[in-house]
Amino acid sequence: MKILAPLKAADEVVPLCEAGAGEFYCGVAPPGWEEAFGSASVHRRSARAAGVPGLHDLDRIVAHAQGRPVFATLNAPSYPAGAVPRLVEFGRALVEHHGVAALIVAEMELMLALCEAGLAARVHVSSLATCRNPGAGAFFRGLGVSRVILPRHMTLAEIETTAIPGLEWEAFLMNDGCAFEEGTCSTTHAFKPYCIDDTVGHAQGKLDERYAFWKWTLNNCGCQTSRGYTLGPCGLCALPRLECAGIDSLKVVGREAPLDRKVASVRLAAIALGVAERGASRESIRDAVVAERGAPELCENAHLCYYPDVWSDALPRQREARPATPRAAAAKRRIVPIRAVPAESRDAVRGDPC
Amino acid sequence: MDYGLRLTSPSEVPSDPRAACPDGWRDLLPEGRTVALYFGSEFCEDRLPDPAEAKAWCEAAHDRGVEATLATPLVSPEGLRSVERLLDGLAVAGLRPAVVFNDWGVLGLLRERHASLPRRAGRLMNRSLRDPRAYRDAPGGTATHDTGRHVRLRALLRTLGVGAIETDADLEGGYLGERDDGGAVRLDRTLHFPFTYAASGRGCPLKAALYPEGGGFAQAFADPCPAPCRGRPLPVQRPDTALPHWRAGNTLFYEPPREAMRSWLPRADRIVVHAMAAP
Repeated sequence: MKILAPLKAADEVVPLCEAGAGEFYCGVAPPGWEEAFGSASVHRRSARAAGVPGLHDLDRIVAHAQGRPVFATLNAPSYPAGAVPRLVEFGRALVEHHGVAALIVAEMELMLALCEAGLAARVHVSSLATCRNPGAGAFFRGLGVSRVILPRHMTLAEIETTAIPGLEWEAFLMNDGCAFEEGTCSTTHAFKPYCIDDTVGHAQGKLDERYAFWKWTLNNCGCQTSRGYTLGPCGLCALPRLECAGIDSLKVVGREAPLDRKVASVRLAAIALGVAERGASRESIRDAVVAERGAPELCENAHLCYYPDVWSDALPRQREARPATPRAAAAKRRIVPIRAVPAESRDAVRGDPC
Repeated sequence: MDYGLRLTSPSEVPSDPRAACPDGWRDLLPEGRTVALYFGSEFCEDRLPDPAEAKAWCEAAHDRGVEATLATPLVSPEGLRSVERLLDGLAVAGLRPAVVFNDWGVLGLLRERHASLPRRAGRLMNRSLRDPRAYRDAPGGTATHDTGRHVRLRALLRTLGVGAIETDADLEGGYLGERDDGGAVRLDRTLHFPFTYAASGRGCPLKAALYPEGGGFAQAFADPCPAPCRGRPLPVQRPDTALPHWRAGNTLFYEPPREAMRSWLPRADRIVVHAMAAP
């Protein structure tokens, strides 16, 4: 598995490589985009705050990456009329003349246009396309794309089922959660994230506090760090299961973050991946992460977990409630199986955790 | 105008479809007839009906001479199996609803296992911008209704045997296309009314309330839910928009300005009237 690092400038490449990045992604806008399409987003983030300034900078990024793949995000959920032909032309230029390995695409219209233009093999399906089951995976595989990025809101068990052969698979690993599924949030951060002011509704009191706490963890604990490490959503303890599920690429989020935060995130991911590759258990990975990052209390109740079902045997269970429907009455709690290995036998599986 | 009705119970079908619409919206709607009864869920797999409930809706539709239309959401692998079991059960009972899909996996299931069921592309297939805050400076909306958008997607849906596309009012327009832009293979154009979805996800706060403190949200994505949201959308106040908002389980809906909604009506062949916001 490779660590996929975010970028917005050429001088970030070498420090991120040294920290352990194996792939990069960045946003870049076509020349003249703003004049033609105003404030419409090309790549889901502010072009100024998170984007590569221009194609010359992109060329330098590709050169500094020294063969490590660089992917470009054309991942707005929708584009204005007239934008798709322009983006196809731009996407072709990126892969054929600027060394970009693949284009990360969310909008179906653009995806279909790129496939039509013979670029399907250079398309990665964005997490915003919400590929959440093997049938959806088969659909995208049928388009001829090369990789699917899984959305955030999936369990490990679901990933294991969804990651079918014939595609590369990418999963979220660190930072920047979403209260809503990003692909089914039809709002824009241009007005500030919609979820920030969201409440449960109608004076829910304690529940609103719990909702606010969850959103705070998703927002990197209020954008805090510990020893320089972002205190954000994290899937490091799940690395062995992600490996077994067939995940190829591990996404570190945060194109717009300062370089030191990006480097710290990649470094922490590399430490955990190294531990995992030696056959360590989830507990050993967690201990290694906490030893480096600190803030052990945030790991105690799986508050920061991208994939909390890695600890499914320790999570709070649903209270017994009066079912609202006959179907609900018949519903049995679905226990997510965890491939936990007893402590005494962990050494036996080293080198072959799958 | 043709109408689909999204009601809370199959026993409440009004003679005039506009009567199912919340107060304050009915006068915008043209005369028309009810052609379909919608049931199921567009947004939450835990709200998919059990076989008995689905059968009741199908029979109610049959009794009224209208099409039963099962809405399905984005689904997990287990949700995909649930949809499959549900459709298998209905087929055994001789019931053949139209199916609204919001997931490519569900479309694949329909094509492979239930090819005779009419297929309708649901509103989550349209990922255009719907941010309610954009109406602060543009109460009429910003939709250009340029039908040059999504041409390839509509062509793909036609080739995959889809007979209709559905959406709610977004800020860009054009998704539904022209009435006859596919030539002989027409896509029926359907508008959901009057609630537009703003955001949806699996971290449902109402589901989280079923767990002790520290549980729920991401820790409960795969757990089944007894649907405490059923029949009870909650009004939500926001500091950044005056548009009425509703939390319906895992999804936030809002009511767009009337001017914006009015611009969508001539572009639809069918209006799905929602009695209340529901996931």
